[in-house]
Amino acid sequence: MNESEFLAGLSASLTARVAAARSSIAAIRLSDEHHLTGILWRADVVVTSEQSLPRRDEFTVVLEDSKRVGARVAGRDPGTNIAVLRIAEHPSATPWSPATAQPGSIVLALGADGAGDATARLGVVNRVAPEWHSVAGGRIDQRVVLDIRLGRSEEGGPVIDAAGAYLGMSTFGPRRRVLVIPAATLERVVPALLQDGRIARGWLGIALQPVAVPEPLQQAAGQSSGLMVMSIADGGPAAKAGVVAGDIVVALDGTPVRRARGVAARLGADSVGRSADLQVIRAGGVVSLQVTIEARPAG
Amino acid sequence: MTIAPFGRTAAIGDVPDDAPEAAAAVTHAPLQRVHVHVRARSAARREALERMVEAWGHVTGPDAHDADVVLTEGDGSSADESIVLASGAPQGDYTSIQRGDQASTLAADSTPAQIDAALRAVALGLVVRSAPASADDGFAALGDESLRPLLTPREIEVLAAMAAGGTNKMIARQLDISLHTVKFHVESVFRKLGVRTRAEAVAKGIERQRRETIEL
Repeated sequence: MNESEFLAGLSASLTARVAAARSSIAAIRLSDEHHLTGILWRADVVVTSEQSLPRRDEFTVVLEDSKRVGARVAGRDPGTNIAVLRIAEHPSATPWSPATAQPGSIVLALGADGAGDATARLGVVNRVAPEWHSVAGGRIDQRVVLDIRLGRSEEGGPVIDAAGAYLGMSTFGPRRRVLVIPAATLERVVPALLQDGRIARGWLGIALQPVAVPEPLQQAAGQSSGLMVMSIADGGPAAKAGVVAGDIVVALDGTPVRRARGVAARLGADSVGRSADLQVIRAGGVVSLQVTIEARPAG
Repeated sequence: MTIAPFGRTAAIGDVPDDAPEAAAAVTHAPLQRVHVHVRARSAARREALERMVEAWGHVTGPDAHDADVVLTEGDGSSADESIVLASGAPQGDYTSIQRGDQASTLAADSTPAQIDAALRAVALGLVVRSAPASADDGFAALGDESLRPLLTPREIEVLAAMAAGGTNKMIARQLDISLHTVKFHVESVFRKLGVRTRAEAVAKGIERQRRETIEL
C-alpha cells in the first residue's frame, strides 16, 4: 500500500467510526445557544457529565436527524461526575462494546453539534493510572487522560477506540484537561442512579482541611500532617461523637490519615452504619473517638 | 479561629431561608465594619441579603452615597448570574454598575464567607474576581495538589486574622501571642504560599482553602 492509499484508508475508517456512533450521541439543550453532549446509553436513557448539567429537572434532547424529545433528570452523582436522564421517546440505540484504555491508543472523542449531527476529535490516550477518588468522594475505576482538546459543548460524549469500542465518557478535569469516566464506572453507577436517583456514600458530617501538625505534637501523633476539622454539621455523626472544630484527624480505624484521599476511600456505600475509630489531636494530646458512619444526606 | 461555613447552605438562591444560620457559623474578629448598600431584584431579596450582611457585623443603609460598598444582585437574565460589588465612590449612577472594569463580581453561588471577604476587600479598594468554578476546576482528584507545603493551625488562624484586615499588632492582641511570634508566623505563611504581600497571601490562602477543604 502506498502512502496516499494508507492516509485515505485511515481517513475513511475514522469517518466510518463516527458515522457508526452517530446515532448514540445526544445534545442536551441548556439554552437557545448552548448545549452539552450526552451518550444514548440505551433506548430511553441519556448519560452525561454531572458537573456541567445545570440543576434543573427537565431538558430537551436533540437526537440524530434533529429529532427533539423531552428528558427528565433521573439521577446525578457528583462523586463520579455522572448524570442520567430519561427520555420520553425510545429511539433505537446501538449497543456498545467496552474497550480497555492503553497509553498511545488512537481514540476519537465524539460530541454533539446541537443540530442532530456529530462532532469528532482525534488523539491518543495520554496516560492510564489505577483507580482514583474525586474531590466529591466518588471512586472512579481508572484514571484515563486524553491528548485531546474539547469544546465546552462536546463534553459528556463517548470516547471510542480505533475498533469502535468505547472507553467511556469524556469530561473536563482541572485546567480543562480531558479525562475519561471509564465504561466500568458508568456500568456500575448508571443502573444505581436509575434505581435510586443517587449513590449512597458514607458520611461523617465534617469539613476537613489538610494541615501541618505543629512540631511539638508530631511525635505523639506519629506523623507530620493531618486533617483539621473546619466545621461540623449539626446533629451529624461527628457532632454526636463529640468531634469539635480545631481537632486534627490523624488516623481512621488505626490507619494514619495524612491527606483527604485516605478518608474518602473508607467511606464507600458499605461503610454506612459501621462504627469507625477516629484519632484526633486535641489540646496537645491524642484522643480516640467512636463515630457511627451515616449515609450522606441528599443534595 | 475562623471557621468555614459548613456545606452549601450559602448559595444566594436560598438566602431567605438559611442565611442567618450560615452566617452565624462564620465567626470573625470585629475588626472592620463595612457600610453596605444592597440592591436586589425584589424587596424581599434585598431584605434577606441585608440580614445576611448584618449578621456578619456590617452596617446596611438606604443611601448608596453613604456606603463603602454597593452590593448589587445580578439581574437573573443569564446563566452566569452574579453578584456585583462596587466601592461606594459617589460618582456616576449605581444602576449602571454592571460588569464594568471597576466593579468586582462574584459567582451567584458564592459562600457567605466569600461574599464577606469580598466586601472587606472592596471596602479597602481592591477589585475582586471569583474564578468561574466550572471553567477552571473541572472534575478533580483528591490530593491532586498534595505536594504543596501545608500551613499549621496557628498559621491558618494568623491568615484568617490578616483576611479580616488585622495588622500584626492587632493579631498579636487577638491571638494573645507576642508581636515577634506573629511576625514569625506571617513570614512562614508568605514562604509556604510563595507570596510577598498580605493581599496576595489572603487571596491565595482563601483560594487554597476553598480547593483543599473537603466535606466528608
